[in-house]
Amino acid sequence: MQRRDFFRVSLATAALILTPTQIFALTGQPTNSRKVSEVSFPQKKPLITYSDRPPLLETPRGAFTKAITDNNEFFVRWHSPKIPTQHYLSVYRLSIHGDVNNPLSISMESLKNDYEQVEITTVLQCGGNSRSAFKPQTSGIQWGSGAMGCAKFKGVRLKDILKKADLKDGASWLGLNGSDSSILPSAPSFSRELEIHEVSDDVIVAYEMNGEELPFLNGYPLRLIIPGMYSDSWVKMLTQITVSKEYKEIFFMDTAYRIPDNECECETPDTLAVKTKPITTMNVKSLIGYPTSYSKIDVMSNVLLKGVAFDSGSGIKEVLISLDNGKTWNNAELEDELSLYAFRVFKYAFKPMSKGKLTIMAKAVNRLGEEQPFSSDIQWNHGGYKYNGIDSVTIKVG
Amino acid sequence: MKKLLLIAFLMISILEAGYKKDVKLPSITFPIAVDKDFGAMQRNCQWCHSYGYILNQGKQSKEFWNKIVVRMRDVYKAPISKEDEKTTTEYLYRYYGNKKLK
Repeated sequence: MQRRDFFRVSLATAALILTPTQIFALTGQPTNSRKVSEVSFPQKKPLITYSDRPPLLETPRGAFTKAITDNNEFFVRWHSPKIPTQHYLSVYRLSIHGDVNNPLSISMESLKNDYEQVEITTVLQCGGNSRSAFKPQTSGIQWGSGAMGCAKFKGVRLKDILKKADLKDGASWLGLNGSDSSILPSAPSFSRELEIHEVSDDVIVAYEMNGEELPFLNGYPLRLIIPGMYSDSWVKMLTQITVSKEYKEIFFMDTAYRIPDNECECETPDTLAVKTKPITTMNVKSLIGYPTSYSKIDVMSNVLLKGVAFDSGSGIKEVLISLDNGKTWNNAELEDELSLYAFRVFKYAFKPMSKGKLTIMAKAVNRLGEEQPFSSDIQWNHGGYKYNGIDSVTIKVG
Repeated sequence: MKKLLLIAFLMISILEAGYKKDVKLPSITFPIAVDKDFGAMQRNCQWCHSYGYILNQGKQSKEFWNKIVVRMRDVYKAPISKEDEKTTTEYLYRYYGNKKLK
């Protein structure tokens, strides 16, 4: 009933929202000009660096020609100023408590020995990835396209842990806490809530990434992996899971990481949506990793374009390439599918026939038939979340 | 004696294996505008985040910066006085504003 009322209101406001600023301020391409920093962080190559405290590091575009993103160039996003830089692994525990019959305090050793070990290859993407594309500019870090990566994670199914903890009747929410904690007393530490029915067999508590222990900045020694969902819920340095019957209000769920709860998931700066929802599942997206605007391309040379495409787990059906600003499209060749949640590498061979600027576009279509819109058709939301415009790279042919 | 030493050595190496990651995070100097109001921004914002966090929000309206300052006080509990709220907002808008009040 409430939802229906809201829909009526949003239809009414939709008629009012075409203010002149909206007509002229179209969403564009995310920024592509940021250089990597001279300073490198532990276990990382020099990356695009937005902040050192908390660490915010972006992967440069050139990395997105492979299905697996290397650990040392995988993006980093923390929320709070205090990250424990020392871990005494033998006393590290993951505790599961609240509405359970068998509270657990699991050591790393027990996690690796007493549970079935599973692996999953999946994309990890920040909900604000590509935020710099939104016009007017929204709040939040103005990420380019590299707040994402794909890795093979190894760990234990969250379901198996919950089963061992033996949930009480009516238990339906999980409160998740890591060590992303605030410095000022009474300020909120980073935490999330998940509804228990959202915990599929693919949700794991991982300690390994691409065959190595998790890099410190990616959540060592343990983080939550929720394939298909934006990474705001993939709690790093996971230490506590609180099971409860009711949802508890927390800032990072109720205020941050939310989008308009209407069909277009859109709003305008003058008319913000009244009803909002968490960002949850990822939409279909692709990115060209080669060539980039920095590549030197000779006229009449053979160029092998490469990039990655993904969605939230239906899988990629096709990737289309356009060399004439979207007038005509040709199929790219798809490489093997490592998993439904992984980057799917696409390749496209072409020969630039004349000198000058050439714009290349890539558009992914998933198995549900959903495809990326042109960037100028992406509608605005106040947090700058879920951008998935058709990727466009302009190269100079010499 | 040799056996004792060997046992002691083994025990130490086991203990040391516990501290697998003692990490030092680099600190980066982000160039930021300095004027008479710089101090107000510094004493209120730097508790929790680097200047990079400010610089990378992009150029924003006066209302935007004021909302951010108020959020930092009300949600993240930064001890910002009423006077510093005004000074800091004006400082941020002066250097990182988009010339729009709203």
